[in-house]
Amino acid sequence: MLFRRFLLLLSCALMLCWISATQAATFRDALGRSVTLNSPARRIVSLAPNLTEILYSLGLGDRVVGVTQFSYYPPEAAQKPKVGSYANLNVEGIISLSPDLAIGTADGNMPGVIKLLEQAGIPVYVVNPRRVRDVIETIGRLGELCDVPEKAKSLCSRLDRRVSRILKKTARLRRPLVFFQINERPIMSVNKNTFHHDVIHLAGGVNMAQDEPLTYPRISVEEVLRRKPEVIIISSMGGDERYEKVRGEWLKWSGIPAVKSRRVHLVDSDLLDRPSPRIVKGLETVAKLIHPEVEWD
Amino acid sequence: MIETTIKRPLSPMRVLCISLALCLFLSLTILISLLLGTAEVTMKQLWGVFTGDPDVKDMANLIVLNIRLPRILLAGLAGFSLSLGGVVFQALLRNPLADPFILGVSSGGAFGAVLGIILGLSFSLGIPLMSFGGALLTIYLVLLMGRRKMGMESSTILLAGVIINAFFTAIIMFFIATAADDRLHTMLFWLYGDLSQSGYSQSLVIAPALVVGFVALYSLARHLNLITAGEETALQLGVDVERAKMICFLVVSLIIGLVVAFSGLIGFVGLIVPHLGRMIFGSDHRLLIPVSALGGAIFLIIADTVARTVISPSELPVGVITAFIGAPFFIYLLKTRGSKWTRS
Repeated sequence: MLFRRFLLLLSCALMLCWISATQAATFRDALGRSVTLNSPARRIVSLAPNLTEILYSLGLGDRVVGVTQFSYYPPEAAQKPKVGSYANLNVEGIISLSPDLAIGTADGNMPGVIKLLEQAGIPVYVVNPRRVRDVIETIGRLGELCDVPEKAKSLCSRLDRRVSRILKKTARLRRPLVFFQINERPIMSVNKNTFHHDVIHLAGGVNMAQDEPLTYPRISVEEVLRRKPEVIIISSMGGDERYEKVRGEWLKWSGIPAVKSRRVHLVDSDLLDRPSPRIVKGLETVAKLIHPEVEWD
Repeated sequence: MIETTIKRPLSPMRVLCISLALCLFLSLTILISLLLGTAEVTMKQLWGVFTGDPDVKDMANLIVLNIRLPRILLAGLAGFSLSLGGVVFQALLRNPLADPFILGVSSGGAFGAVLGIILGLSFSLGIPLMSFGGALLTIYLVLLMGRRKMGMESSTILLAGVIINAFFTAIIMFFIATAADDRLHTMLFWLYGDLSQSGYSQSLVIAPALVVGFVALYSLARHLNLITAGEETALQLGVDVERAKMICFLVVSLIIGLVVAFSGLIGFVGLIVPHLGRMIFGSDHRLLIPVSALGGAIFLIIADTVARTVISPSELPVGVITAFIGAPFFIYLLKTRGSKWTRS
């Protein structure tokens, strides 16, 4: 009798072991790869600055053990160990942090490096947001991946509401022509395959360079004079005086409507270059510049 | 005339001894490189990894066997190939400035590889094949442009190489500038030589081709000696010059094409290593070929180890290091030895 009870207990214990061992969860990433985690990730390496921002916005900062160069937002992220830059990752550095999850981006990380990390037994989840809405979706996915789905859901719906509000306010307005400058020498803009284009579009503007064949086309001053944009937005590093000069250069050309009406603006590039939650802040900033006539608050 | 006149017969024993000594040096280089990197791996841990000591941490095991060793192997094979290509081109063109990079064979290979990427071919087979095709096309174009009634004129060929090099580089830049595909942007790194994505699979593709190529080229070592002395002399002595040249160009294109597909454009290895070999061991190709090839392997492993440690945790493209050492050396050669060579 006693023996039988013992057997029962033993099988129960084995059952429990088995259940906990098979608690592995499988996720599908943006490249269609399946990523299996045996338990929720505790040591995460972020392979791009925007991913670091997303992880911190989900309150996962404590679990981040490594970041890439230029991960300076939020400021405490800059204190984490560095593993190279997103395009030039240090595989050894990543492995030596013994992470149980790495989060990468299809736009920038080299496929060979991701393969090496996998061979070293580190699961790599790759994201690939191409539009502002994709960023919000990515945040939701990363929330599920890192076992904070509720938090992600509430963040996503907050961001979603802010985007929808902008769309609603600008829906019936005339769309002004916007020249968006991402580089000063040579002057470069963005075509419709970029994040920046999506921001301009959602903010209720028309991107002057949208139909250029190159993703980041060079644009001459002559072309800008010819197209007569109503707004000029210059993507700039915050607090750098150099960009005031770039703005000054444009102010010489009074033939451009944007110059005549003093609508040449600087916007912090971090708000527009990074597919992170801050992109919504960037979108709001741009929308206010494109449509100052709207009652925003 | 260059110093090809062989004063005393070269004994196979001497070739063997020098090669073995270099192999020993190569092993030592590999060992030291395995110890260096961002993560700390001690001598004791390294020993444990290779003796299968269960006490060694998983991490040291991973870093040594999955990251450093495959990378060092690929660097070695690439250096071996590039230097081998250099020594053969210098002999065939009787010009000290000939090497796969300067003759445009490397950028031709890169052109093929980039085209392969645009066509969406696989990294394991399609792209190396395209790269080989590109390298072969380049050498064909260079020879076509350099052809004269009386054999080939080496300075014309060199000039043709420089021009074709510039042309293909321009095409690659055009592709990169116009590419919508993000993969091409990351390829900018690869244009300066990049070994950071090496696994064992690349070495497994290069190694067999390299063994066959090395045997083929080494069996032509005597012919190369005679061709360096002058094509007419070689012809008179019964060397089928055209055939030897064809084989050499084909074999070198194959191995350089493969190396470029996997490690990008790494310059100067094929230039400085064979010259160092010539200065130290003379210009008998029966000795110079193995010496240059092994020396190339050692040089590139050292250069890559510097590239991945000097600004750690970031790393430099290996081509930056080889060019940094190579360019001043190139100028030195031009100043001191250039005139001696071109007189032939």
